[in-house]
Amino acid sequence: MTHLIRELQKREEKLFHCVHCGFCLPACPTYTRLGDEADSPRGRLHFMRAIVEGRLEPDSPAVTRHLDRCLGCRACESVCPSGVEYGQLLEGAREVVARAGGASFLTRLLPAVMGRPVLLRPAMLLARIVRGTGILDRAVRRLSGEGWSGQVRLGLGMMAATSPPRLLSRSMSPNELLGPEEKMDAEMPGETMGHGTRAAVFKGCVQEGLLGRVNHATARVLNANGFKVVDVPGQGCCGAVHAHTGGLKGARELARRNIRAFERAGAGVVAVNAAGCGATMKEYPHLLGDDPEYGTRARDLAARVRDISEILGTADVRVGGRLPMRVTYDAPCHLLHAQRISAQPLAMLESVPGLELVPLRGHEECCGGAGVYGITHPELGGRIGKDKVRAIVSTGAQAVATGNPGCMMQIGAGLRMAGVAVDVVHPVELLDESYRRGGLYR
Amino acid sequence: MDGNDLTEPLPLQLLRDLQAAVGTDWIFSDPDRMVVYETDAQTAHSQAPHAVVLPATTEEASEVVHALHGHGILMIPRGAGTGLSGGAVALRGGVVVGTSRMTGILEVDHENRRALVQCGVLNNDLNAAVAPYGLHYAPDPSSQSACTIGGNVAENSGGPHCLKYGVTSRYVTALRVVLPDGRVTWLGGQGREQGAFDLAGLFVGSEGCFGLATEVEVALLPLPEAARTLLVIFETIEDAGRAVTAIISRGLLPAALEIVDRNTIRAVEASIFAAGYPTDAGAALVVEFDGVEAGLERHAEEAARCCLDAGAREVRHAESDQERMALWKGRKKAFGAMGRLAPDLLVQDATVPRSRLPGVLARISEIARRYDLQVANVFHAGDGNLHPNLVYDRRDPEEGRRVEQASAEIMKVCVEAGGTITGEHGVGVDKRKYMHLVFSPAELEILRGVKQVFDPMGLCNPGKVLPDGQEAP
Repeated sequence: MTHLIRELQKREEKLFHCVHCGFCLPACPTYTRLGDEADSPRGRLHFMRAIVEGRLEPDSPAVTRHLDRCLGCRACESVCPSGVEYGQLLEGAREVVARAGGASFLTRLLPAVMGRPVLLRPAMLLARIVRGTGILDRAVRRLSGEGWSGQVRLGLGMMAATSPPRLLSRSMSPNELLGPEEKMDAEMPGETMGHGTRAAVFKGCVQEGLLGRVNHATARVLNANGFKVVDVPGQGCCGAVHAHTGGLKGARELARRNIRAFERAGAGVVAVNAAGCGATMKEYPHLLGDDPEYGTRARDLAARVRDISEILGTADVRVGGRLPMRVTYDAPCHLLHAQRISAQPLAMLESVPGLELVPLRGHEECCGGAGVYGITHPELGGRIGKDKVRAIVSTGAQAVATGNPGCMMQIGAGLRMAGVAVDVVHPVELLDESYRRGGLYR
Repeated sequence: MDGNDLTEPLPLQLLRDLQAAVGTDWIFSDPDRMVVYETDAQTAHSQAPHAVVLPATTEEASEVVHALHGHGILMIPRGAGTGLSGGAVALRGGVVVGTSRMTGILEVDHENRRALVQCGVLNNDLNAAVAPYGLHYAPDPSSQSACTIGGNVAENSGGPHCLKYGVTSRYVTALRVVLPDGRVTWLGGQGREQGAFDLAGLFVGSEGCFGLATEVEVALLPLPEAARTLLVIFETIEDAGRAVTAIISRGLLPAALEIVDRNTIRAVEASIFAAGYPTDAGAALVVEFDGVEAGLERHAEEAARCCLDAGAREVRHAESDQERMALWKGRKKAFGAMGRLAPDLLVQDATVPRSRLPGVLARISEIARRYDLQVANVFHAGDGNLHPNLVYDRRDPEEGRRVEQASAEIMKVCVEAGGTITGEHGVGVDKRKYMHLVFSPAELEILRGVKQVFDPMGLCNPGKVLPDGQEAP
């Protein structure tokens, strides 16, 4: 066991930044619902410290349960005066726990599929076929929310939630691939923000598999704003799910693969429309900090990574046609807390003419998505998810916008299970729709 | 020693009684899990409890306490664990009764400017609930984003604005308490003056030694119409201290007068709560006036003049509410930001007469130098309430000893200057050893007698406040 603990000890200095002030407690969705400090950021850091000090074993059921119960939303980092890098410490601790044999089957299954295109592609294809039959929505309506069936229902609901939104025009074709030289906008004005910069779109695994329309919208909108969108063959899963579940080795392999792919493409900007992926890619330098070959290259890539809202949430973004819709915005944790991006997505939505943006109570709190949290922790995940759905419904919005596939799926499933007809969209889709209506894509 | 044998598990019948009181989900006793409850925000004192129970109502809390009493098991109340004197630590074992589920705001009576809340409500949440009525709950401990009203009652908490508004005891009008044997009673008049002995007043500041206050009735004040906030930069902390004395002796009544020194400024400015305090300054003073708009400007100008006369380098005015909030965030998150200086810290909490501030601050710097320690000062200068933070690393036991010794010397200096051993953090475990410095044997006798009245069996938060010969020297 000692060699595992040494992994945590390497992070000891960071751990000791925590002075136990407790300011993180009210920001933690699990603590505010469970009231147990073992389910608070301070408590989890205390567990880690006890492991380092040799007072607790990493496979102690208490440690496993409470570290596992963390959503990884990192809301605690946004309120920590001492700047404790909780997310990175959690990844390290989960690796120690996983190697000590504490990780569950599902937590191991998911990264195994997502990191392997051979498994991922057929899985996604199958999911799209099933989704196309409409059977998912019927199942969500019929299945009971109790026990085992409730977990299946949530899983199916999450898949159904990736269906195209009812209020927007259907994309050209569900899974068209945008070629590198494809001209989306022949009459692009010269004074646009991109000035012909080569921009790559990071496609991701679930995003590309189930929400390909968001990637296409991203490419179109970038193109319309003067970026030259280039294709990046060889890119793959960002490794977030691996890192979050203690598979740091797998995450590093995927990071290296992406670094190579994006280096070859020579893009000045790497646009990411999945907050979780963006956060992970911006942290590649930390992940590969000890790698003599890839350390610098990781920093190079990370410096080019931008969330799509960072690119488009500025005054220079082109204005499209009217889109008279009442929309609310939920901040993905990995955008707000991990990447500290709050104003830009709102600016992006406010740039859409006719769109009425209504504030969402608790928009800064996790939706309970956190990978497959609702399936691994049905009771608690369900409570967190229902709170989010209630808040969304109370806004009276026709659509909720959020920039992360996990959140789109979790919120979409929650709305479906509650029988509420509110669309879930990515903010870039609304901009895309506004451009289409404004005739910017001719 | 008194207390529950730390190696003995709790009686099975007691566990069953506790489960019957709160349900199986809300009692934990797995020893590994107890590790997270071994300290509060004062990490120098550490002991895991036997179990933790989280009741949701006064009735559940009463059943829990009654069961503990019946089995002779110690009861340790705990709010959010943000306390700075070790008050929520199960020093001698026993069961922690946490208030994290008692978060209901039971009543806001805006016409009579009062509210009734459960003890686990956060100070900030109470303020958010009453703000729509143009009201606020005045005591504003720096930890108000995380600390609970129940904890504020236990510690009689203060905060930056208590210079003008006074501390918790001034605002608590009634308490519903679970006595150490489980009986439930109201203390105080619930909105009316009761006369006779002020039992609610006695309970406020009792640091969990008299029982558990589960419901708290508080008086609210109208939100001030306007505010003026100055950030004054000084080359030395002594100059800042002199400015404070000058402002007060001029007859001005600021709502808050707060000093942060160079080390604190550096920690805060490195954090996400950076407020634009200049990192090359010796100290910064935050001065705030609030109330009706008329006159505020003149008071602020007069205070600015006092500061310049005392040698201030620069006076800045907060131009917007946003700037004002940023200044306050920087100040209020200062304690939490100390982790940037070292892994551990001992924050002291002593009060001296304002006029003695410059001299005492110089003595503190001298003591820190002599013990080769880094000290970061952040404090409520207006009421002479000092918070020297001694930062250290507990992995170095020798440094830990130096901190202990320096801390004791600082205490002595404050008491010799006519001060006392705690301004607002409470005595807890940490300051029992200094009690004899400020209390006469007769007073200590009376304090023990009062404790005896509430808790004859000595089951309620033992090892806190009152010296009993078992405190570390």
